[in-house]
Amino acid sequence: MLTIIFGDYKDANYISNPDMFFDNTYEDKWLESDLAKDIVKDIDKSDLEGPNLVVSPVLGSIPVTRISGGAKTLIQIAFDSDHIFNASACGDNCAKWLLKIGNDKDIVVRMGHVMHFPEESFDIKIANTGDIVHTPYELVEKVITEGLLD
Amino acid sequence: MVGRYDIELYNNKVHYHLNIKRNITVLRGDSASGKSEFIRLLSAYNANPESSGITLISEKACSVLTEENWKLFIESYNERIFFIDEGNTFLATEEFAKAVKKADHYFVIISRERLPQLSYSVEEIYGLREGDEAGKYRNATRIYNEMYQLYNNQLGNIAEPEVVITEDSNSGCEFFCEVYPDKCISAGGKSNIQGKIVGAKENQILTIVDGAAFGPEMQACMELIKTSPKSISLYAPESFEYLILKSGLIEVPKDILEETWNYADSKEFCSWEEYYTAELSDRTRNGVGQYSKKKLNKYYITKGNLDKICKCLPWKMVP
Repeated sequence: MLTIIFGDYKDANYISNPDMFFDNTYEDKWLESDLAKDIVKDIDKSDLEGPNLVVSPVLGSIPVTRISGGAKTLIQIAFDSDHIFNASACGDNCAKWLLKIGNDKDIVVRMGHVMHFPEESFDIKIANTGDIVHTPYELVEKVITEGLLD
Repeated sequence: MVGRYDIELYNNKVHYHLNIKRNITVLRGDSASGKSEFIRLLSAYNANPESSGITLISEKACSVLTEENWKLFIESYNERIFFIDEGNTFLATEEFAKAVKKADHYFVIISRERLPQLSYSVEEIYGLREGDEAGKYRNATRIYNEMYQLYNNQLGNIAEPEVVITEDSNSGCEFFCEVYPDKCISAGGKSNIQGKIVGAKENQILTIVDGAAFGPEMQACMELIKTSPKSISLYAPESFEYLILKSGLIEVPKDILEETWNYADSKEFCSWEEYYTAELSDRTRNGVGQYSKKKLNKYYITKGNLDKICKCLPWKMVP
């Protein structure tokens, strides 16, 4: 399940800048997976050919360090379970991927904003309160009433 | 710093166009829209302007702030446009907020974080959109782009709401209490608006906020408006004082309202809301319409004057 920590989070395993962290810690095997290829195709509209090459329709051939911050963050959330990543580096177009990764395994991310999840129903655990919410309205209502971003 | 600035930054693959006109502009939106690529390009240009192969067209110098340089750059330079990428931890600090307040610079911040310590406008929250099929041209487009600053989720009857929630607790609230007797409540500040909407028992809700500094609350508010089963309308004019100035009750040069960027100096005013308040107070001082933010002068709620101000609202009042 996807678990979200809202607001300030400063534990030692927290990565506030997943974009930069990815560039210095990614493992080649992550980028050989179908999941990483699907994420880069969907978010960046680019082809992840392998650990050393991405083909972008706009930028041409680029290294994997130039894919979007959102795609980097999703790949790390999927493959690096030692850290908690700042999912506010992800736009709303990453929301379905967070749910998808969370369907396959338990993941914990931190957010400093309310992401819009396009699905009408889901299971998301809010770490701050322990509640599990099931709709976008329940999520935003809980964040507001509990003052999780204050 | 005052003024409106066109910025073009491009190489042979991507071409960005931004128009910056307030002290704080926020870039957010979907991943892979090119925000970080903009920062990468600008950093590369500044490292080697002549030989980078990158072109920057801007009347004011543009720089990227990092964890390492931000204090030094803000203190050392004058009238620069600073760009800050997401992930920089200093963005959320009080120290940075203090440095931004009344700085002689403009700041363009890439972040989806709420950043409540910064006063930014709902009008200056942009996303980068592709301007052509090939994706080469990226233009900054307003995220909250409704006409007349009116945002709602259902075609409810805005003119006859069941409850009106105002951000203001003083003059603005007093005015709308006259317009909507027995229906108007104050949230007592912008950060309480969302809680008041959630807590309201009524189903037709009209919320009136000062758009010039409501940026930090806008993302969660819009999520609430989009997903709530209630009919919620959010009206976000620059400020209540802006409405008065716009109404024609007070003689004011047109440019002050239409080209505020040329007058609201970032060194003096944290937001345009502060500027309009100062302008209205100055122009009415010692006159019959002397304005005070704390207590509404009855001049503004005489029948004729109240109607004049209401004519600025983007909906027709029910007589």
